[in-house]
Amino acid sequence: MRMGDNNEGGLGTSKDEPQMNQDEMILAQQRQIEKEISDSIPLVGSLEPLESLNKEYLTDTVYLEKVKDLAKKYKFMRRTRPDGNCFFRAFSYANVEILTGKKEEFEEFYKLAENSKNALVELGFQQFTVEDFYDTYMEVLKRIKTAPTVEESKNELHTLFNEQGFSDYMVVYLRLLTSGQLQKEEDFYSCFIEGHRTVADFCHQEVEPMYKESDHIHIIAACAALNTGVRVVYMDRGTGKSCTEHDLPEGCTPTVHLLYRPGHYDILYP
Amino acid sequence: MSTPARRRLMRDFKRLQEDPPTGVSGAPTDNNIMIWNAVIFGPHDTPFEDGTFKLTIEFTEEYPNKPPTVRFVSHMFHPNVYADGGICLDILQNRWSPTYDVSAILTSIQSLLSDPNPNSPANSMAAQLYKENRREYEKRVKACVEQSFID
Repeated sequence: MRMGDNNEGGLGTSKDEPQMNQDEMILAQQRQIEKEISDSIPLVGSLEPLESLNKEYLTDTVYLEKVKDLAKKYKFMRRTRPDGNCFFRAFSYANVEILTGKKEEFEEFYKLAENSKNALVELGFQQFTVEDFYDTYMEVLKRIKTAPTVEESKNELHTLFNEQGFSDYMVVYLRLLTSGQLQKEEDFYSCFIEGHRTVADFCHQEVEPMYKESDHIHIIAACAALNTGVRVVYMDRGTGKSCTEHDLPEGCTPTVHLLYRPGHYDILYP
Repeated sequence: MSTPARRRLMRDFKRLQEDPPTGVSGAPTDNNIMIWNAVIFGPHDTPFEDGTFKLTIEFTEEYPNKPPTVRFVSHMFHPNVYADGGICLDILQNRWSPTYDVSAILTSIQSLLSDPNPNSPANSMAAQLYKENRREYEKRVKACVEQSFID
């Protein structure tokens, strides 16, 4: 017997069954969890010595061995908030941070970014909404680019990436660029998509929405969109004492280095 | 104070005025851009035809990265609308994309009126009648339509 049947007699009154609004209850709980994370971990943290990882694995010999291995190649790390956007935020941050010291390359990247909006609109993205993210994205790049010294550029970068409004817009725009790249090279990427989904569906469900975690395919497309290579260093419970490195796209000379631990990305510094 | 959310809402409002989709309208409340009132006119050739259904849309500073909370103020009888006016619609929950704007939200709700999804019911009585007793369903909907004139 369904709940609704009991109310049959109430026809004509405007009382439908007092069904709980479950969607909102689930959303409320989700928001509570998110709030706990956001209260305790900054969007992008300060530079920390790599050894700070040891604190997380005091009794875990597998991981401690791997941190030791990692420390041979990397001196510092920067943590990002684990909110599902960590790859996009880390990648975007690290990429711009490297550019702060390189005037010509920054100019080149700025030009690439300037032309990206029209490319998205041509692919069918709605001009009105894309423009909103694009404007903020360019504003952030400009503020970092025009700061008088490299140090001030870096400070500006760090400040803006820790302001939710700006930081999230940087993430959204990179998500849109990634989605654009996937759709532009649809024939190639469609082979890597699981289930019976089109590339466009995949982008709407897994790439464009905030807080959706990134896979290999997101990373490859994001690299192509920004014309940058990334080295992802995998650290997990697998056998062996060293971490596995993957350069994406394969064979590139990576500029950005990211540490991947199951479900999360942080930035690494040689 | 201008925040990305507020700036974006001004844009949404401007676009809604310059390029209004048929059958929907919306505007911020007088003193708060984060709370909007909206109206959806019942789509033609559906039992909702001629109804003028009022809604409120509440945004947070996280908009457009998170969806707003949208609620019918007018009494609704619809498989995907809760008794409190809350709406069960994927794009307002797990399928939200920051590329959606107020215009897209309102037109999506408008098409939900034409095409209910009885398999994911927020009002099980409405869902059941929609599937098994369409005449009674339409009668209940029409009562809402008439009530919407008075509200």
